Amino acid sequence: MTRAADPLAAGALGATLPPLLIAAERVAATVAQGVHGRRRVGTGENFWQFRPFVAGDATARIDWRRSARSDQLYLRETEWDAAQTLALWCQNDAAMAWRSDPALPTKAERAGLLALALASLALRGGERIRLLDGANANAAGITAGNATLGLLAAALGRAGPGLPQVLPPAFSQIVLFSDFLDDPTAITAWLGQLTALPARGLLVQVLDPAETSLPYAGRVRFALPGGTLETTIARVEAVRAAYRAKLAAHQESLRRLCANAGFRLLIHQTDANPAPVLLALHQALSGQ
Amino acid sequence: MTGLSFAAPWLLATLAGLPVLYFLLRLTPPTPRRQEFPGLRLLLTLKTAETTPSRTPWWLLLLRLGAVGLAIIGLAGPVRDAPHPISGGGTTVLVIDNGWAAAHDWPRRIHAAQDFLARNLAPSAPAALLPTAPGPDGLPPELGPRMTVKDVMARLPVLTPLPWSTNRAAAAHALATLPASTRLIYLSDGLAGPDDTAFRAAMSRFSGITELRGAVPPLLLRPMRAGPDGLHITAEASTSVPPATLLAENGAGQVLASTRLSFAGGTTAHADLVLPAAIRNQLASLHIANRPSAGAVLLLDDGARRHTVGLLAEGSGQNERLTGQLFYLRAALAGFSPAHSAGLAPLLHAGVSVVMLADETVGNPSDQAALLAWVRSGGVLVRFAGPNLAAEPMPDPLLPVTLVGGDRTLDGAMSWTRPAALAPFPPHSLFAGLPLPGDVRVRRQVLAQPGNAPDRPGRQDWATLTDGTPLVTAAPLGAGWLVLYHVTANADWSNLPLSGLFPAMLKRLVALSAGVRVPPSGTVLPPRLALDGFGRLAAPGPAARGLAGTRMASTVASPIHPAGLYGATDETRAFNLGNALPQLAPMPPLPGASVFGLNLTRHPVAYGPWLLAAALAALVADLLISLRLRGVALVAAAAVLILAALPVAARAQQIPAMPSLATHLAYVITGDTAVDSQSAAGLRALGTFVNARTAAALAAPVGVDPAHDDLSYYPLLYWVILPDTPIPDGATLADLSEYMRNGGILVLDTRDAAAPDRAADAALAAIGNALSLPALKPLTTAHVLTHTFYLLRSWPGRFAGGTVWVARDAERDNDGVSPVIIGADDWVGEWAQAPPDAAQNNGGPDSQSELALRFGVNLVMYALTGNYKSDQVHVPELLRRLGEGADTASGAATPP
Repeated sequence: MTRAADPLAAGALGATLPPLLIAAERVAATVAQGVHGRRRVGTGENFWQFRPFVAGDATARIDWRRSARSDQLYLRETEWDAAQTLALWCQNDAAMAWRSDPALPTKAERAGLLALALASLALRGGERIRLLDGANANAAGITAGNATLGLLAAALGRAGPGLPQVLPPAFSQIVLFSDFLDDPTAITAWLGQLTALPARGLLVQVLDPAETSLPYAGRVRFALPGGTLETTIARVEAVRAAYRAKLAAHQESLRRLCANAGFRLLIHQTDANPAPVLLALHQALSGQ
Repeated sequence: MTGLSFAAPWLLATLAGLPVLYFLLRLTPPTPRRQEFPGLRLLLTLKTAETTPSRTPWWLLLLRLGAVGLAIIGLAGPVRDAPHPISGGGTTVLVIDNGWAAAHDWPRRIHAAQDFLARNLAPSAPAALLPTAPGPDGLPPELGPRMTVKDVMARLPVLTPLPWSTNRAAAAHALATLPASTRLIYLSDGLAGPDDTAFRAAMSRFSGITELRGAVPPLLLRPMRAGPDGLHITAEASTSVPPATLLAENGAGQVLASTRLSFAGGTTAHADLVLPAAIRNQLASLHIANRPSAGAVLLLDDGARRHTVGLLAEGSGQNERLTGQLFYLRAALAGFSPAHSAGLAPLLHAGVSVVMLADETVGNPSDQAALLAWVRSGGVLVRFAGPNLAAEPMPDPLLPVTLVGGDRTLDGAMSWTRPAALAPFPPHSLFAGLPLPGDVRVRRQVLAQPGNAPDRPGRQDWATLTDGTPLVTAAPLGAGWLVLYHVTANADWSNLPLSGLFPAMLKRLVALSAGVRVPPSGTVLPPRLALDGFGRLAAPGPAARGLAGTRMASTVASPIHPAGLYGATDETRAFNLGNALPQLAPMPPLPGASVFGLNLTRHPVAYGPWLLAAALAALVADLLISLRLRGVALVAAAAVLILAALPVAARAQQIPAMPSLATHLAYVITGDTAVDSQSAAGLRALGTFVNARTAAALAAPVGVDPAHDDLSYYPLLYWVILPDTPIPDGATLADLSEYMRNGGILVLDTRDAAAPDRAADAALAAIGNALSLPALKPLTTAHVLTHTFYLLRSWPGRFAGGTVWVARDAERDNDGVSPVIIGADDWVGEWAQAPPDAAQNNGGPDSQSELALRFGVNLVMYALTGNYKSDQVHVPELLRRLGEGADTASGAATPP
């Protein structure tokens, strides 16, 4: 497996954007303190309502300023502020660890960089992060802080191949990083589960430029990284146009799939600057 | 022999399989390059992908077929000049022309014969040897005993050419007893002989004849003609030959002059050797450079080369100091011509060119007749007047003029005339152009009969006085001249003998003489020294007999009368090979013989390894192309290129880019890899030794090719002479001479001190002649070379005790530093096997290796410092004079 995404690079990348406050219509009922008001009484910082004193209330909670304006005693209650959860997942298989040129980062590196940068933004916004991988779902760090990024990076590197077996908490936001070159039917089924949670989010397709352009020529024996799948193409240049059309069609079907599930699809190439896609992620998640 | 043959021709049949290979290769496409690609998942869904295998590109197909074809042809072993073993079991007879005409390229002939035998006959096959020249014992050529080819090859180097013509008729007679199935190998000198018809008829009986012919025809020096202005030399060849160089040597073998013999497309060359009389008189022989043959040597005898002057001395007092007439003549002649004084008969017998009679009269009629005959044959008789002549009765047949009796006194007490001066020489005079001194005065003279006196026809006045009376008169007689000085040869009658004009006049008179050949006497002269086949003087053979001088011009050289010097030392006559030989003509090849040149019997050249290498290269190229198709080309190609470039780089490193930045020893690249690497190793070991023991700093040795490299950087050039070392071309020789003239030292090593190799010595001699080396002398402990660093008493190499030659007379050039050092001890071989720690290992000061290295140190120091240490030669003498005693003198033996 390739090296995990560099937490420092991710922090530097995230520092170019303001803290991420995830736009949340509904927030999962968690005990975690956050910034999203639950419109009910609970633990929080914001004033919610005054309530008449009933027997059994602790006298320490009486709001004397309000009580002085009438004869009744009132208690001051705050709104329940909860944190939103951002679930992240990076596909981590041999195909993701491939690059066409040693000068380029692997797709896994770029995906990890984006994921960590996003996580850093969310942590600074007081949100919670969860990694969706079966191996260590429970151990995934929830806390904020600089050390968290390192833990997250290590956890990303330990992730297993294949789609995550763990579902995110309900009402959370999900960002999935992968090349999504597999058969879309598997993704369709998984997205259906997410929709049912309910959960919303984004799919980020990270592609190598060679996967977009198919720059090879002549007689080439292609092999799947980490797999046994092989095929020989006699004249690659002859199938280049067809391949590009096929890729476009594949991306179109992915986009339709996402639209049906309430997701959005972002496409990123590893030879491009990661900042624009991070900005797009920020805007999409913050509801702007 | 020049054709191409195959060691395994049946392998070529597999070439027929190439078309099959063509189809197989055509159907098998090259392995595709492998590429990992995650997008494969999409590619797999493209069912339109072209799946038919692509065909091998036509150029790759061609390359592979070419490689296989080359490999097949290479394995079949094509060989040029392959040995053609002669089948059959008959005896082989090697017929060798070993007369004078085969001597000039004798080593090559022997080499060619050995080569031919070795390549064409089994060592144990029966063979016999038949030289065609009669042996030194005078016996006609005989067929040698039957032996094996191996024995014949062993005997060939012992065979020498003989300094007379072949006797092919006798050889034909010897062949007559052989069966017709005998194989003949005829090593021909290519020169037609008088008895060729019988020989060719005898040879035509045999069917298997192989003839080996040399390409270079022999040269023959014909008897030369000595004229007053020089020697006229004629050389003859059987066919057209390139120009040659004629060297004139004195008795000690020193070259005094050289001239060019240009045949200009013809078969004869004429050359005139114009020399000062003093030099000309020293000449002992003429020979053609690089032609070691008796035919290319012309021995000169006294009569041919000297213009000696005979002074007739019969009267008394003629030799008195300052008063005698002969005293003045001797003094005047001393500068340019030897003069003998004797009676008339001994003078004429000794063969003088000029006879001077100083106031002598010859009254005896028989003497007169002898003198007149001598003059007619080319002698110059110079007479001087005097009281005796004035009193002589007229006419005198030995005078060019008729004299008036008595003499004329110009400044006597009773005379009014004044001593007369000389008038300018008339243009027809022998003395025309000589400077006329103003102070010559004639006081007395004899007078010629004026008017229509019965003078000799053609009388000329060569010098007259201002009053018109003749002073020197001359008249031709036959091929000679009668000359009369009308004054005495001493200062009695004039002061002419005191002036510088006198010797100048005599010199012209001597030069006028044609060089009289004494009519050869009928006396039989014993052979004193005879030429051997290579043109060197040696003791005559057992069959040599005396030869009368009268018969020398018509006698053909033979074992009985070999060419050489005849007679005792005081009367030596040269009998040369070219005297009576018939005109040289080329002999056509034998009928039915297969003819080979000497140079074509080369070692076979096998092309197989080269073809295999080419096939391998093609396969490597194919591999590279395949790798390129699969995407790993760059690194592999780079690796292969680096590997291929290594030998080139190694060669490039041999000559440093800037050889002037350090002191390099140099050796001449001979082309023999073993010798060259040994030279390099030897000089490197010597350099290490020198660097450790002395203050000199030598860089790595350098191999140079004198034809291309600039030699001026190297103080010392070590040249190992191999038997086949060719003579460098003219420009290279000029470079080498320039190198030596400018202070470079050339060390020539034939490496054959233990077993002298005639071929290597011949190569050394040829190169030495071509380089025109200075006169040499053996190296002794008195030479600076033995004192430059160590005091050496021996200078061994791998061999010890060989004579080392250094320049003899080098005081004038290069500060007395010998530009050449010639030896045969293989020093470089000893240096090369010196232990690596020889410089530190001082344990064996007397070991041969240490001594050889010490000699090398001295060589290097000699090259670097020249004669700086020449005063060391005098150290023992200086110490002895200082009276320091022997212990201090021995202390000088430590290195300075």
